[in-house]
Amino acid sequence: MDWNCTLTEERLSDFIEGALAPEDAAAFSAHTKTCAACAKLVAQVSGLVSRMQHTAPVKESPLLVGKILEATLGPRKRKPVSPGWFGWIPAIWHPRFAMGIVTVAASVVIVLHASGSPAARTSLNPVNLVRGANRQIHLTYAHGAKFVNGLRVVYEIQSRLSSQPESMSEPISVPATRPSGEPQPGQKQPSAEPHEKSQTVPHSNRRDGRGGAEMAVMLPNRFPSSSSISALRSSL
Amino acid sequence: MRRHTRRVFNLCYRFTGNSTSAEDLSQEVFLRIFRTLPSYQSSQGAFPTWLTSVTRNLLVDHYRRSRRDRMTDSIDDAMPQLEERHSPARMPDKLAQASELSAQLQRGLARLSPELREAVILRDLQGLDYAEIRGVLQVPEGTVKSRINRGRIELARILEEMGVRPA
Repeated sequence: MDWNCTLTEERLSDFIEGALAPEDAAAFSAHTKTCAACAKLVAQVSGLVSRMQHTAPVKESPLLVGKILEATLGPRKRKPVSPGWFGWIPAIWHPRFAMGIVTVAASVVIVLHASGSPAARTSLNPVNLVRGANRQIHLTYAHGAKFVNGLRVVYEIQSRLSSQPESMSEPISVPATRPSGEPQPGQKQPSAEPHEKSQTVPHSNRRDGRGGAEMAVMLPNRFPSSSSISALRSSL
Repeated sequence: MRRHTRRVFNLCYRFTGNSTSAEDLSQEVFLRIFRTLPSYQSSQGAFPTWLTSVTRNLLVDHYRRSRRDRMTDSIDDAMPQLEERHSPARMPDKLAQASELSAQLQRGLARLSPELREAVILRDLQGLDYAEIRGVLQVPEGTVKSRINRGRIELARILEEMGVRPA
């Protein structure tokens, strides 16, 4: 094919984009090797196309998208901020708010201290603060100890009361040889039992609604006599 | 959304050579798209092609509207503002060089006829293929190829006249 400058110009884009048939491409290349003007044009246009294809897109204004959205969809409706009844609670945990509270508290303390009122001075004196704290601790400890002691007494009484039915089922045995006077030194421990039982018996009688007189009779006697025991048995 | 916005803005900017006009036109394009979206059908082509087509029609309208103004106020008068805005003296070397080349290219494009300019922009700056450009311009593919080829050659000669070295 007889390739000329007009054909080179007409098929230039096809040559650059590789769309020419192989024989046309060969004729194109052969012509540009012999024609300086065409070679220059090919170089210029190739360079221009390459440059344009590598040109970065121009950045639009960052506000453009917002403007377009506003123009098309209308202004954005923002939700009215209504904190509600408890909406303010999370704000307390905000560091700024906490810092503000601390600052206000510190200011109040400084103002009170600087005002010179004796109450403020004494109440804010570190020694008084320590003493007050110490006193409070001791009071708390004393209340606790008192409460524990009270519990112990109640428990003891309850345990004695609960052991009473067993004592009631057993017959009351009093040593016959024992006189009504002073107990023998060797029998000190056993002698306590009748005393305890003598206290429990009237209690059991109290359930029946009788025996109050016997109780009054027995209490002065540390060791009941055989006659009083028989009277008690008859009452039971 | 951002991708489409940039595409439309660049097409408008390369065609008008003015970023303010390009932004106004971009807004107008999306307004028109928003209004005519229900009438869009996939048979009209892919959405980006349709978007480009709408943009191009608006650009043609804008060009015709402002042609009377440009009789007295040449587009070249707007160029110094453009250069001033993208003053390369305040930018790093590579950025400044790219900006300078972009500005030179813009000045060269402004001197092309609208038909050749739009064809070159769509092909080499927007990256559309011949079929898409045919759909946008509503002209036969042979015409599209011819316009692109003539536009490239003419632009290369303009840039040579301007003293811009080929890359």
